[in-house]
Formats: sequence, C-alpha cells, structure tokens
Amino acid sequence: MHELTLKPFTGRTPLVIAGLTIVAVLGFLGVSRLSNRFQEQKKALARHLYQRALAEQQSNPEVALQHFRTALSYSPDNFQYELSLARTLRDTGRTDEAETYLISLWERAPQNGAVNLALGRLAVRESRIDKVIQYYHNAIYGVWDSDPEQKRLDAWFELAEVLLRLNARPQAQAELIALSVNLPPKPESLLHLADFFFQTQDYDHALSEYGRVLQLDRTNPEAVTGAAQAAFKLARYRTAEHYLETASKVNANNPQITQMLTISKLILEQDPFSRGLSPQERSHRIRTVLGQAGERLDTCFKSQASGSNAGAPSNYLPALRTQWEQMNRMLRRLGSKGESGLADEVMDLALRIEQQTADCPSTTEDQALLLLAQSRAGVEQ
Amino acid sequence: MTESSPVSPELSSHLAQDRPDAPKPRSSPRFSVAAALSEERFFLILSVFIGIFSGLAVVCFRLAIDWTRIGLLGPAPEPHTLRVLFIPALGGLLVAVLVVHFFPLVRGSGVNQTKAALYIFNGYIPFRTAIGKFITAAIAIGSGHSLGPEDPSLQIGASLASALGRRMDFSREKLRLLAPVGAAAGLAAAFNAPISAVLFVIEEVIGRWSVGILGSVVLSAISSVVVVRWFLGAQPLFRIPALTDFRPTELLAYVILGIIGGLAAVIFAKAIGYLRPRLRAWPPFTQYLQPAIAGLIIGLIGYLGAPQVMGAGYEYIDQAMHDQFTWKMLAILAGLKILATTLSFVSGTPGGMFAPALFVGAMLGGAVGGVERHFYPHLTGTTGTYALVGMGVLFAGFLRAPMTSVFMVVEVSGNYSIIVPVIVANAFAYVVSRTLQTVAIFDLLTRQDGLDLPSLEELREQTSLHIEDAMKPPPLPVLNSDETVQDAVDQTQSASSNLFLVRIKPTGWASITREALQRFLNEGKGEMTLGSLLASQRLPYLHPDYPLEMALRYVNQTPLVPVVSRADLQRLEGVISNDDVLAKYRVAME
Repeated sequence: MHELTLKPFTGRTPLVIAGLTIVAVLGFLGVSRLSNRFQEQKKALARHLYQRALAEQQSNPEVALQHFRTALSYSPDNFQYELSLARTLRDTGRTDEAETYLISLWERAPQNGAVNLALGRLAVRESRIDKVIQYYHNAIYGVWDSDPEQKRLDAWFELAEVLLRLNARPQAQAELIALSVNLPPKPESLLHLADFFFQTQDYDHALSEYGRVLQLDRTNPEAVTGAAQAAFKLARYRTAEHYLETASKVNANNPQITQMLTISKLILEQDPFSRGLSPQERSHRIRTVLGQAGERLDTCFKSQASGSNAGAPSNYLPALRTQWEQMNRMLRRLGSKGESGLADEVMDLALRIEQQTADCPSTTEDQALLLLAQSRAGVEQ
Repeated sequence: MTESSPVSPELSSHLAQDRPDAPKPRSSPRFSVAAALSEERFFLILSVFIGIFSGLAVVCFRLAIDWTRIGLLGPAPEPHTLRVLFIPALGGLLVAVLVVHFFPLVRGSGVNQTKAALYIFNGYIPFRTAIGKFITAAIAIGSGHSLGPEDPSLQIGASLASALGRRMDFSREKLRLLAPVGAAAGLAAAFNAPISAVLFVIEEVIGRWSVGILGSVVLSAISSVVVVRWFLGAQPLFRIPALTDFRPTELLAYVILGIIGGLAAVIFAKAIGYLRPRLRAWPPFTQYLQPAIAGLIIGLIGYLGAPQVMGAGYEYIDQAMHDQFTWKMLAILAGLKILATTLSFVSGTPGGMFAPALFVGAMLGGAVGGVERHFYPHLTGTTGTYALVGMGVLFAGFLRAPMTSVFMVVEVSGNYSIIVPVIVANAFAYVVSRTLQTVAIFDLLTRQDGLDLPSLEELREQTSLHIEDAMKPPPLPVLNSDETVQDAVDQTQSASSNLFLVRIKPTGWASITREALQRFLNEGKGEMTLGSLLASQRLPYLHPDYPLEMALRYVNQTPLVPVVSRADLQRLEGVISNDDVLAKYRVAME
C-alpha cells in the first residue's frame, strides 16, 4: 500500500503549515468534544460518590473517605470535594494529609473563610496558638459563600472557645472584647458573648453584656442568672441581690441561686462599712462579725475534739482564740464610740479565722463572713 | 524468539512486511519542501506540530484508559469483588487476541522500538503500531494489568512523528530523528513533565547532546505538555506533601534507601530478564493464555486485598506520600507490584514500566522511611519525602537513567531542596544495580528481541581515548627555523632518529629528514635557514586533550604529527604517529 505523501505541496511550505494547522485545529475540536463528554461523565460520577460520602460521613468515616477520594479523583478541581475530604481526614486524625489538602486549597483561595476555618481547627488539634489565631482571623475576615455574617460570628465565638480550651485566657479575652464591638444587638449573640466573658472570668464585661441582653429582653432568665452570678463574683452584692431575687423567681428550685441570694443578703446585713449607718448600728455589726468569728472558732475546736476534722491546722487555733479574746476585750473596753476605729482590725481577724478554719464544717453565715472579710473595700455601697 | 532466529518474530515481521512499504528516504541532501525555509527550520516547526498531535493522541489515550477502567472495574476497584478477580483475565484474553491477530508489533518496549527506528529503520515506525498500542494498552491498563501508560504514549508519539515525517520528503538524518522527537512529546504528555521527558529521550534513546535535535525535542515536549494541560489540567500526577529541609547527617538514611532500592531494582529487572524469554519460548497457542493468566493472578491479588497494584497506580502513590499506609503495607505493596508488573510484562501484555517503577519506588521509599523513622524518630523526612526519593531511586536503579531520575523527582515535586538526598540515593541505587545487573533493562530487552542496538549506558561509561594517551616524546633534537642547514646537520649527527621536527617562528611546525638535510648541504645551501627552505611545508598539529580519533585525520598525511600545548603553540608536548594510534586502539580493545 502506498502512503499518501505531501509531496504535491513541496515548494509550498505555507500550504503545508496551513494544512497541518487545520488538522491540529480539527484535532483540538474533536478531542475537546470527547474530553468534555468524558469530563461531564466524570463529574456526574463524582457527584454521585460525593453524595454517598456525605451519607456515610457520620456512620462510617472510612468509607466516606474512600468515596471522597474517588470523587475528587474524578473531579480534581472541585473545591467542595477537596474541602470535605480534608475535613474528614482531619476528623479521622489524619492531620498531615488533611493539612496538605487544606494548604493546597488555601493556596488556591487564601481568602476563603471555610478553608481558613478548617486550617484553624487543624491548628487547634496541634495546639499551635499563633496559627489558630492567624487562621481564625482569616476566617473571620474572609469570604463566605452563604450567610457570611453569622459564619464570621460563629468563627469568632469558636476562636474564643478554643483559646479558652487552650488556656490562652488573655488572647480569648482580647477576642471577646473585639467581638463585643462588632456584635449586632441580638439577645442570643449578646448572651453568648456574656457567657464567654464569664468563662474568661472577665465578670465586669460579662455583667455589662448581660445588662445589654436585659435591655433587649427584660425577662431573659439566662441573662438574669448570668448577671446575678457576675455581680456576685464582682462582690457587687446589692446588684447581685437585685438580679438574684429576679432569678430566684424564675428559677425557684435552683439551690445555687437561693444560696447566693442568702449570702448576698447576709453580707449586706452584716457589712459594718455600709454608708449611712448609725454608730450604734455599725457597732452592732462589728460585734456581730466578731461574735460570728468566735462561734466559728468554737465550732472548729469542737469538731477537732470529736475527731471529725482531723485535717484542721490545730496549732493555729489557740493563737487565733487568744487574738479573738484580746479583740473582744478591747471592744468592750472602748465602748460603742471607739468600736468604729477597730472595724478594719476586726475584719482582718475574722478573715484570718475563716481562712484558718476553712476545713471545718461551715455554714452560710460563715461563707458570707468570709466573702465580706475578703472584699470589705469592694462591697457595693 | 527461537534459538535459530536471532531476531524476534515481531521484528522479523517488521522487517519483512513493513519495510517494503516504507518510503525510501530521499537521497539528495537538499530539502525540497521549502523554498523560503531551510530544512532545519521546517524541522523545528514540524516538531511543534508533532508535539501538538502527540499531545492530542495522549489525551485520547488517557481518556480511553480511564473510560475502560471505570467501565470494567468501576469507579474504584474494591477487594473481594468478582469483577476485580476476573476482569484483568478477560482483558488479558482480549488483548492477546488483538496482539496475535492484528497488532503483533505492539509487544515489547516502546523505548526500544523507538531506538530501533532511529538506528535501524531510518526513523520508520508503522502507524499501525500506534493504533495497536493505543487500543491494546488502554484495554490492558484499564482492565487492571499492572502497567503504565508512559511507554505506550512514548511510542504513540514516536509513531505519529514517523508517519508525519514520512510525508515530508526529509533527508535521511532528519527522518531518523523524528521518532525520538515524537517520543519526547509522547512521554512529556504522559508524565506532564517536559524536562524529564527531554532528558530521558536524550539519555536513553538518542544518546548524545546536539543543538539541532535538542531544539526539536524541547519544542515537541513543551507543545505536547501544553496540549495535555489544556485538556486535562495542570495538576501533577500526584500531590506533593510539604517537604522539610533535611539535616546533612540524614543523608545516611537516604543512602540506605538507595541501596535497598537498588536491590529491589535488580530483583525486578532479573525477574523480567529471566521469565520473558522462557515464556516467549512456549508454544504459540499459549500467547493467547499468558496475558489472561497474568491477569488472573493480578486479579487474585486485588481480590485478596491489594487492588492498589492494579493499573498504573498513581492515585496510590499519592496516598503513600500522604501517610495513608503503614510501612508494612507499603513494603507488601512494593513486593506485589514487582510481581504483578513482571507477570503483565513478560506475558506480552502491551504497556509500560515507568509507572510501576515509580509505584514500587514510592512504596519502598515510604516503607524504608517508615522503618528508619521508627528507630530514629528525630529524622525530619516525612513519608512523602522518602516516597518521592524512592521513586527516583527505582528510576535510577531499574530504568538506569540516572540524570532523568534526579530531574524527574525535582520536576514532579517542584522542590529543589530535595535534590541532594535524591542525588545521593539515586547514585547508590545506580551503583548497586550496575554492579549486580550489568546489562540495563532496556538493553536486556533489546538483546532478547535479537536486535543489536547501541547500549547508551555502555556508551556513557565508555572510556574515551585522547591524544595524550597515545602520544610519545618528540625525537630530539627539535630544530628551529632560524637555524642554518649546517647547524641542523651538526646537531642531528649523533641523533638516532631520521626525522626531525622544526619549530617555525612565529607559529607553526614542519619536519625534515636527515636525507633532506644532507641534500640541502650538498646543494650548497648550508648557510640558508631552515625556515626559508621549509616555508611552504607546514605540518598540522594537535593538542593533548583532543580525542584520539582526531589524529586519524592527519597521521596518514605525515609520519609524525606534533602535539603542542594550547597555551603556547611553540611548546612541543609530544608527537603522534599512525602506529601510535593503532597501538593504543589495540590495547584498548584488549
């Protein structure tokens, strides 16, 4: 068989090149058609496998992984498949591979919120706080496909939560303060924020945020309870009493609320430093405080004698008893006019007694006295 | 191949059937296609078209493999399914029928067939081979045979180039070079790595660097890769994990990998070298059964839990590089892949060994890395790093292409920080393989096919002789052109030689015999200078570093050729004669 040659065209180089170009263009068109058809089939197959993977994700993550991988091999550029695979890899503990996928996605779309969030979660697993903050910030300020505002807030709250979990309290507090400025005035979000402030022991901001919630929803039970607890922690017993009374109506069966309310009331009743007290009343309160401290000592002595409190530091108690008796004698000798000047000393002694007898069985009154002695300058007037 | 015939049946048919149809290369050195363009320029343009057509063909080939695989084995081969057990056997049977009845030339290595086209058949590769290779390899790989698409792609590219070139009335030299140009395009498209493809073709097919061919090979490789990326995307064959910098002390770990990889390569090559001629010597009817039996064994391996060894396996290389398998599993997969590929290849199933070599290397590298890190957890290299280096190791040890093996890893990983471990490990693998298996796999296959193609490995390692190896000290005295004939006669009276070199000032050399000097003296020219008498009799001269064959051009013209320093052409380093050259060659041959 003789082969067709292009010799008729010899001497006409442009024609030969034009002919080759036409064949190349036709080849491109043909292969394009073929390739497109195949790509469509592969994409359909990938979609099917992706759906199967999603269905298996919770119950059988290993099978889901296999389907995700196959789906991705048939649709290699699919961002969602790759992200889902990376998340599943991360959730099944294959962090190295998950990171490779996520870094690859991040290089393609560094602004993508979901990718940055996934990378942030990966960094959480490895306790890399600097990376955690970096990726979560990228997620917070990144681009989201749907409901971006809510997803940014969720990421921000999650960042605060993971920072708390990683014992990075100052960083968590800083994030919450920044978040409080950007948070829309919705009771749920504000309540969430206030709870986080409470967890970071930033009771001041917590009380403030609970207050914002209550401005929007006066009867919000969580906000009332939270505000009461924050005020109590801040030793603002009068505010605490106010919120606790409301909270106790809503949560009548909550023993913690009831106890806190009792303690708050006791503190407010016993506080010798309250403004506007008559000298007699102030004197009465000082004597009450001292008396209560004495009773505490007696109780502790008795429990030691009965052997029920073996761990108490018995060697300190006699010295405290002596100091208590000296203070009692001094109060009697000075009379009601001189007692006010000894208020600080009485409270110091009461604090020492309460601290040294901490292992002895205590009553609500003792707890109130301890708190009063600890924060006598801070008790809300 | 039988004992009586030095040439395999396939190649015999190539010679007997295809040669008469092959157009004879044009005898005239002048190229008639272009009035405006020279043959050289047109060859370059044609290289681009060869790249484009090869790229398109390889895209179709890869689509065909994927289509076949999805259709036959499903989206992902799963163990303990009947289709995994039986499809490779059925695919093997179909391939055997096609090969025996329609495409007998598609058996064997595409690299060797391209080399044969270059060195024996004036660049001729039947186009039917491309079609046959396309169909049979797509069925074989798609049905799960443990072979890769690179070698068929290489051959498809070479075949296309040959077919295109034959229609262009090129000179014999250009026609021969078309096949390697197409091979580079096909391989580049299959690997999605143009540099490695160019290097491989230069290293393993052409065997020499020349500016003319290099330009064409590069152009075709680049244009084919552009086409493939246009259709299939630019992503690499596998994702490369983050690579960390290594500590110099860790090179020892890579040395161990190189040695183990070299041993594995030797086992792989020896298994193929041992089984292939034996299976080919079996009765002809077994040619139908051999691919089917190989497929059945591979199917059984897949059925029992290792479907990873089926097909090219790039997705599993990817998984190995990302810590998806334990080191034990990686080692098992490496062993099973050697077995599966050996069976597929020796049974005559069309397909390549590039991808299996990479697979074995990646698995072995990951396994060795895993063991090393188990005992020395402070090693910084990840499994991915070891797998990547392991791929280069097998490439160097099995395919015996040391330069390509280094650049392939660097090109595929896109990370130059890995180059030192790769060079170290590859060098050890190459040395181990070279020591234990003296004949490289491609040369072994060539010899089994009854062909006598140049072994490029041997050529690379051949010691080249230089002038300095054969030259001798000059005969004394060395005369100067400003000396008189009388002075020269006086100086040479006691010399043993009859021929003397004369230094012509300012540059150049001449020679004069004792008889000539005496004749000049008798003619009364005793006071004349040698320079005035020898002005028109300049000798050619050589330098010590010139290749010895260069001396052959001159030693027949003059009995003694001066060898002079490059720095000072008047300084004589030695002399060389015809006898010196021949004596040196005799010694070298012994």
